Amino acid sequence: MTSQVLPLELIDKCVGSRIWVIMKGDKEFSGTLLGFDDYVNMVLEDVTEFLRCSDYSGTQTKLPKILLNGNNICMLIPGGAGPAQ
Amino acid sequence: MENGSSTSKDPSGFLSEIIGAPVTVKLNSGIVYKGELQSVDGYMNIALEQCKEHVNGKPSRSFGDAFVRGNNVLYISADR
Amino acid sequence: MADIDDGPSTSVSEPLDLVRLCLDEVVFVKLRGDRELKGRLHAYDSHCNMVLGDVEETIYITEEDEEEQEITRTVKKQSEMLFVRGDSVVLISPQAPS
Repeated sequence: MTSQVLPLELIDKCVGSRIWVIMKGDKEFSGTLLGFDDYVNMVLEDVTEFLRCSDYSGTQTKLPKILLNGNNICMLIPGGAGPAQ
Repeated sequence: MENGSSTSKDPSGFLSEIIGAPVTVKLNSGIVYKGELQSVDGYMNIALEQCKEHVNGKPSRSFGDAFVRGNNVLYISADR
Repeated sequence: MADIDDGPSTSVSEPLDLVRLCLDEVVFVKLRGDRELKGRLHAYDSHCNMVLGDVEETIYITEEDEEEQEITRTVKKQSEMLFVRGDSVVLISPQAPS
């Protein structure tokens, strides 16, 4: 009997809660995860888009609901509300 | 259904929900296209109507229709 | 048959249909690397590989002048016929931008 959690199961547990997404480039997103597919394309609600820099002083964009392309995702942080919190 | 699929909340459900609606498409390069979403396919190729291009947040040009190749897409956002 | 009344020739049910409707028409193509093409679309495939005829290519080159101000200059080239590899395509539009 194993108790290992598969990566996609971990993401599935995040559905309905806040998630922090760090992209391969210099972008980050935080929002409520509504759903995802096998490519980890994600539907996010009440999203903030950040530019990663030393103090996150750059512009933040608010987006009501997005489909984020999974192609450039680097890391997901469950429960993360973004760098400001 | 391991990830509670086929609700309007997973990617394909969200897309069918916003067909015909005004959307913002942001590319990895930072360029933004706003327009009415005509269609999307599995590659995230996108067809937009009344498409307006924004560079560095400022409107630059407009196209009647536009096809955007999916590999350039960062996100598709439903405008409110 | 899956095709409905208005037929396959005019309907846009998937994004590439928009490109199909541009066949033999003049299209505007935005490419990676600040390049744009305007030409007649002779052929394309699902990768967006394309054959364009009577093409004008515009290249935008950004440089810094002596005062480190960024200036953009354009270079234009004409080609009778060219092949575009799909992976460099960003956007295809049936109309020139306005």
